[in-house]
Amino acid sequence: MSTQTSSTIQFPYKRTLGPVISRFFSELTAQRIVGIRSGERVIVPPMEYDPETGNALEPDFVEVGPAGTVVSWTWVAEPGKHHPLDRPFAYALIKLDGADTNLLHALDAGSEDAVSTGMRVAPRWRDEPVGRIDDIVAFVPGETPEGPAAGEAQDVQTMDYFSTITYTDVLSPTLERYAASMRAGVITGQRCPQCNRVFLGRGYCSVDAITLGEEHEETLPDYGVVSNYTIVTPTPYPGQKETEPFARASVVLHGDEMVIAQQQIIGIPVSEIRVGMRVKAQWFADDARNAAEITSKGWGTVAGFIEGWLPTGEPDEPAEQYMNRVF
Amino acid sequence: MSNESNDRADTAIAIVSTAYLPAVRRNDVTETEMLIAVVDEALGKVGLKRSDIGFSCQGSCDYVSGGTFSFVPNLDAMGAWPPIHESHVEMDGAWAMYEAWVRMQHGDVEIAVALGSGKSSTGDPAEIYLNELDPYYLAPLGPDPVSLAALQARQLIESGKSTERELAEIAARSRRDAANNPKQQVRSAETDVDKLLAEPYLRNPLRKSDLPPISDGASCVVMATARKARELVSRPAWIAGIDHRSEVHNPALRDLTDSPSTRLAAEKAGGVEGVEVAELMAPFTAQEVVLRQALGLGDDVVVNPSGGALTGNPLMATGLVRIAEAAEQILSGGRNRTLAHATSGPLLQQNLVCILEGDN
Ligand SMILES: [Zn+2]
Repeated sequence: MSTQTSSTIQFPYKRTLGPVISRFFSELTAQRIVGIRSGERVIVPPMEYDPETGNALEPDFVEVGPAGTVVSWTWVAEPGKHHPLDRPFAYALIKLDGADTNLLHALDAGSEDAVSTGMRVAPRWRDEPVGRIDDIVAFVPGETPEGPAAGEAQDVQTMDYFSTITYTDVLSPTLERYAASMRAGVITGQRCPQCNRVFLGRGYCSVDAITLGEEHEETLPDYGVVSNYTIVTPTPYPGQKETEPFARASVVLHGDEMVIAQQQIIGIPVSEIRVGMRVKAQWFADDARNAAEITSKGWGTVAGFIEGWLPTGEPDEPAEQYMNRVF
Repeated sequence: MSNESNDRADTAIAIVSTAYLPAVRRNDVTETEMLIAVVDEALGKVGLKRSDIGFSCQGSCDYVSGGTFSFVPNLDAMGAWPPIHESHVEMDGAWAMYEAWVRMQHGDVEIAVALGSGKSSTGDPAEIYLNELDPYYLAPLGPDPVSLAALQARQLIESGKSTERELAEIAARSRRDAANNPKQQVRSAETDVDKLLAEPYLRNPLRKSDLPPISDGASCVVMATARKARELVSRPAWIAGIDHRSEVHNPALRDLTDSPSTRLAAEKAGGVEGVEVAELMAPFTAQEVVLRQALGLGDDVVVNPSGGALTGNPLMATGLVRIAEAAEQILSGGRNRTLAHATSGPLLQQNLVCILEGDN
């Protein structure tokens, strides 16, 4: 049976708009659509430069539309979560009256049969404008805009855009065996027959670029030595859960050069962590171990299985042994 | 330009070997393991070792793989210790090849490798592709790549430059060719044009047959300077010219029925005259029509004999597969002049053309 792991990456963007897009979005909040002049042409949506010549454009804005003509369209019969409408709709290229270029937008036409190239459309305005392209909820058939009465224009300087992507990873055969072993509380690695280095959760030798299989696997000790560490004073940002200074340490497993990076040292204050300190893995309880952090990307991880590393109290290894290295 | 082999300057650069993995809906191994396999195969064909490589460049995309700096573990496929000379582009491997070709112009690298890799299977293209779109005017509206391609196809059809039947014929031809190429993914699908035209629209006017599959894959080409190239193979695929050009990002501001950047790149790469085979990166049927017309390819030019991106589309590797296939037409196919094309960005925003030649 294969293990699937799922992860969602989110990017909470807040973007400044610059003088041209800022003007366009500010006008939208008052239910006006503006383009920018480039010679004889009017470009909508307005750009800071001419799309063909690349020349910078003067801030010469001109109101267009609000109605326009459909130049091309397609029909989305089954909208997905990223689509702007939750019922079947069209995407359309719309040439607004007075514009010389097309605008991409959604067209809420009810049915596919109601959409055709050359049809006339007008915007449906959002009830409470925020200064984004979707202040026009969608275009609708006809000449008449829909929505509330227009209000005063807002001064829009930034926009929020929340991007999210969900990935579903199916573990490779090597990672599948690795996860099973970690669930049982045993670290396994693969030893390269060429250079004798050992790697965990990888499936190949990073130095010799050769594939390593089940026949190269062996059990590794779950104790070792701190080879390097850093103390991080957290600054708040989306996703940062730490509030107090915390340490991230590299642990070299006993007897080998396999380094496990980004580890927590637990049971002592961060100020007492030392290079050369002997530590032992603190495994999560059986039922708390999970493979969610194991993915086909990267170099293997013990996250989800090992909570952190406890000092054993034995005498340190000489720190000098660990100085000539990055991790 | 003469095609006599002894007229090639010592500074001439040729593709001497290529490899790519079969495009599959999901490859069980990691992206790095895919790359190890494809590099092994490409180097093995010409008896080279990784230590023979003077420079390597990879093309991949963190948004596709879903990991930050995912190109760093991918570099393990080249064996990066002791340190090596390498680079990465957040683009299709075709642009990695372009960078490697530029790097070779310095004259101190005899053999270079370009790679492309991607596992689209872990994500949803409709989510991932939004992140390549203008975040102000386009991304908030959620236009998926198939919807955008449909807007382009309709303009092409309604302007009289193509027909739904022609698009179905392209799908049928690509699928027939793919049946003979075990590395393509869509190999046993319907090839009867009337039956394809009877299928429902997925995004009017596009049907499923007008769309590429979702694929995992990796590709690799090995390049060498003239002396090495002649040592390694009997019939090098000389890079006569390579160029890439870009247009404005927002497709709504372009004429979607033409591709002036492709035309310009082809001119700068030496022109299409005498081209026998063209491998065009057209993941949607209508885009093949746009590219063929923009390049002015005649009916005598064989287009996408590999089956094309329409039948196997590993993101970030597909463009380099086109170059590999166009090179193999010379290396092992006996052709004299072939063209490879790769594209990036929404609806053919940026285009690369590589002209390859064999010795007569
Ligand atoms: Zn090794």
